[in-house]
Amino acid sequence: MLWTSFLALLLLPLTLVSATLEAERNQLVKLAAAGNGVIKLDESTFNLLTHPKRTWSAAIQFTAMDKRRKCSPCKEFNPAWDTVAKAWTKAPTEHRNTHFFATIDFDNAQSVFQKLNLMSAPVVSVYPAAEGSRKLASGKTDPSKYDFSNGFDPAPLAEQLSHHTPIPIPYRAPINWGKVASTILSAAALLLFARFCKPVLTGRLIWVIMTVVPSLAFMGGLMFVQIRGSPWEMQNGQWLAQGHSNQYGKEVQMVAIIYGSLASAFLALVLVTPYVSPARQRVQIYTLILIIAFIYSSLLSLFRFKNRGYPFKMFFS
Amino acid sequence: MALAYSLPSNLAPSTVQNTASFLRIIALAFISGAAIASRLFAVINFESVIHEFDPWFNYRATKVLASQGFYEFWNWFDPTAWYPLGRVVGGTIYPGLMATSGVIYNILHALNLPVDIRNVCVLLAPGFSALTAWATYMFTKELKDESAGLLAAAFIGIVPGYISRSVAGSYDNEAIAIFLLMFTFYSWIKALKTGSAFFGTIAALFYFYMVAAWGGYAFITNMIPLHALVLILMGRFSSRLYVAYSSWYAIGTLASMQVPFVGFQPVRTSEHMAALGVFGLLQIVSFAYLVKAHVSSKQFQTLLFVSVVTIGILGTLGIVGLTYKGYIAPWTGRFYSLWDTGYAKKYIPIIASVSEHQPTAWPSFFMDLQFLVFLFPVGVVLCFRELRDEHVFVIIYALVGTYFAGVMVRLMLTLTPCVCVAAAVALSTLLDTYIDPRMPDTTDTPAPDTDRVSVAGATTSEGTPKKTKKDKTPAAEVTQKASINDFATGFEVLGSILEKDKPPRVAGLDSRIVVVGVALYLLVFFVQHCTWVTSYAYSSPSVVLASRNQDGSQHIIDDFREAYYWLRQNTREDAVVMSWWDYGYQISGMADRPTLVDNNTWNNTHIATVGKAMSSTEEVAYPILRKHDVEYVLIIFGGLMGYSGDDINKFLWMVRIAQGVWPDEIQEPNYFTPAGEYRVDAQASQTMKDCLMYKMSYYRFSNLFGGSTPVDRVRNQHLPTTGPTLDYLEEAFTSENWLVRIYQVKKEDSLGRDLKSANAFVEGKKRKRAKPPVRRKAIVASS
Repeated sequence: MLWTSFLALLLLPLTLVSATLEAERNQLVKLAAAGNGVIKLDESTFNLLTHPKRTWSAAIQFTAMDKRRKCSPCKEFNPAWDTVAKAWTKAPTEHRNTHFFATIDFDNAQSVFQKLNLMSAPVVSVYPAAEGSRKLASGKTDPSKYDFSNGFDPAPLAEQLSHHTPIPIPYRAPINWGKVASTILSAAALLLFARFCKPVLTGRLIWVIMTVVPSLAFMGGLMFVQIRGSPWEMQNGQWLAQGHSNQYGKEVQMVAIIYGSLASAFLALVLVTPYVSPARQRVQIYTLILIIAFIYSSLLSLFRFKNRGYPFKMFFS
Repeated sequence: MALAYSLPSNLAPSTVQNTASFLRIIALAFISGAAIASRLFAVINFESVIHEFDPWFNYRATKVLASQGFYEFWNWFDPTAWYPLGRVVGGTIYPGLMATSGVIYNILHALNLPVDIRNVCVLLAPGFSALTAWATYMFTKELKDESAGLLAAAFIGIVPGYISRSVAGSYDNEAIAIFLLMFTFYSWIKALKTGSAFFGTIAALFYFYMVAAWGGYAFITNMIPLHALVLILMGRFSSRLYVAYSSWYAIGTLASMQVPFVGFQPVRTSEHMAALGVFGLLQIVSFAYLVKAHVSSKQFQTLLFVSVVTIGILGTLGIVGLTYKGYIAPWTGRFYSLWDTGYAKKYIPIIASVSEHQPTAWPSFFMDLQFLVFLFPVGVVLCFRELRDEHVFVIIYALVGTYFAGVMVRLMLTLTPCVCVAAAVALSTLLDTYIDPRMPDTTDTPAPDTDRVSVAGATTSEGTPKKTKKDKTPAAEVTQKASINDFATGFEVLGSILEKDKPPRVAGLDSRIVVVGVALYLLVFFVQHCTWVTSYAYSSPSVVLASRNQDGSQHIIDDFREAYYWLRQNTREDAVVMSWWDYGYQISGMADRPTLVDNNTWNNTHIATVGKAMSSTEEVAYPILRKHDVEYVLIIFGGLMGYSGDDINKFLWMVRIAQGVWPDEIQEPNYFTPAGEYRVDAQASQTMKDCLMYKMSYYRFSNLFGGSTPVDRVRNQHLPTTGPTLDYLEEAFTSENWLVRIYQVKKEDSLGRDLKSANAFVEGKKRKRAKPPVRRKAIVASS
């Protein structure tokens, strides 16, 4: 009798710990429910969430949303974070309450940022469970950082974070109704256009345009800009990127226009000039040749800017 | 008719014809000579050596083929690659290239010309470029005439876009594939024009050769069906099309299935479904035409139309359903990433990591094509003027080719022939017009002239075309009609530029001389450009590097071969060498040692294992190395010499690929400074400083600088004066310019200590009480 109560006494701290942890978890669950899936943290709740004996995992967004901080990536990323966190509220309760989403703002918890030595925002850290059944097999308890290389979209975020949640985050990309509507509208417009402009569509010119213009854009590096997401131009108005294998969006336009005008000049020489009267012919030929020389020369100087070692030039370097 | 300049009139037409064809042969011979000669820069500047990475494997395979015969080659299992997995070489390669060299080698030996197999391999690409020039000539001849053909041949002979992949020593599949591509297209056009099953079969046979030679054959597999489909949609179905396509598809597909690496793919993967679908469509359409020709009943024709459409839809649904069910494999990642350009970076970093899979910026287009880049659209527009079936082909090719070339630098190669052909058509039309001595007839009424002028005016003022005198009367009648018709008329007027109604005539000798002179200037400039680009940018073997001494003389940097020969001479024959996959083929080709991973990147997990070993701490990496029997680790370090293609610069890809498999253990952000920079100096993150790659790269680097601050010349960063230390590996070899560093993996300590404490003991340090346990268990669980 005595022994059992003694044993119970020995076990008391343990049960007390688990009891407090359970209380803490309930507190977190409430907080999460209140914040639409996201716990708004301050210093004390941060320490609570990242408790060294936590049986839950947590994904925390470190951000600086205040205007004074001028953190535009933070504003860009925050909606994605909230969307994914909201998607997690749809997970079954027994799983939902073992992983939490939280946001901590620099202006509410400067000391936390200082403690973690965070210099930039946004940062997403995932704290794995330190105790209990969800503890990692490798025994790791340090937080790991989310890799922003896939951009600020919710889909890759949900996919990456699903590695750390007990079940994959039930995130579904919302149907982009605007896009659907515009597709339907443009298809309808196209059909209407085809209905009324049959002579145009069966003529060759529209097809010439539909072939040559995209070709020029592709040769101007359109796909490079699309894939790399290059900016249109720099903020100081600089629109030529340094280097042979780099370019800005405006260069696509400029280069395509240059190619296009050179091609049109040659086309005029072949398709227009030989059919006009001799006097006009001479004027046209000399004008076109001058135009070609001038534009080609500018193209070369553009290329010399991109490729410093290029030795050839025409009129101006 | 007035002539601008006089022509000799006492020549018989047959003499002119004979001389012209003789001159054409001479010209083609010179073009071939120029094509071969301009590719020999690499041999002259360096030596007759195999270039880069993949060619080393091709060379090694060819040696096996030449020395042991075709059957041995076919059944070759290579246990030294992808250690310990091995690689079934015969079933996992496109054997066309090796077979071609083998045949040439055997013919030469049968003729008692004892040529070394290496020289056959080195000179194969230049030789085939001459054949490409000929095939392009034949192709362009079908589009316009012989003179355009000669121009096209000259362009493709020296254009950098093609030279970049076919210099001497660049012994890769592309070396022969472009010839096969052009010849297949030529025979397809020929088959289509003549409706001959013979040329269809020729196209199929060359298609088979192409399938056996290059994975890019899928381009043909989809180009020809696309062409056929567009022709059908344009209402140009004919029995010629039916015969040409059916013979090409049936024979070509059956033949391509004989290549073991391709096998049943032509009927089971999405890349090939377009060809199959168009084949089925052609059968339906031709059946419909047949019935239509024999049955007159109106109702029956309606019924026929409905049933044909139904069959078509059912067929499409069938293919879609089979794909959904998994009987037909969906698009493979490599091809899919051409459409969804973000796909590869997200899901297949190994594809995205290759530099030739990057998108193309505009300077590359100009560098590779120079003035062809703006003559090319001119040629495409001129194709619209003729618009025979073969011109449709060039137009489709132009659009598709520019897209693909924009998405991937590597595919510039498939665009280049089309650019050469179209530009040649344009330039040759220009020269035809301005060299033709006939002057305009002075008796011509000026009325059509003004007509033309107004057309030219319409070109400049878009959308609001001026009405010509002729148009005005009918236009007045329809003024009440909607303005959309105005728009349409404007288009018609603009479009009429493309219809040629009377022969082009140029007056005056001076304007002729100016135009022809400018054309000649452009051509000469092009030759200079090509020569410069070829010698400056595309002729480096990358196995041997060159730099300039202070007096301007060339200094050869031969570190790669030095290191590989050191391996060959100083290590056991079965000593496994670990390196990043880029160097796998070179190690097996030059050092003849087993490698973990190589450039045939078929096993992503194996590559990620190497990436993990490189990006983990020594303690984590050591068990991985020991389990894979690795004895030597080879890395490339450019920090001393300023060689930017070294492993530290590639390192993030190793991290990313490893992260793809072990997201818990390797995380890319840990390798950056807190400010998000990629640094190697004192500010580098701790993870970076602890990882094996960093340690191996900078081990003993500071000793070189004798106490002053070491500088990494690639990244322009100052390193700490005390460099990293190594416990589990020891330096075995470092090449002259420190480009290649080889480390030997230590054996386990014979007293059972972990190597860190063993080292500390040797150095006389006291053993710390709390030594970090080797976390073997975790690694066992994860690998």
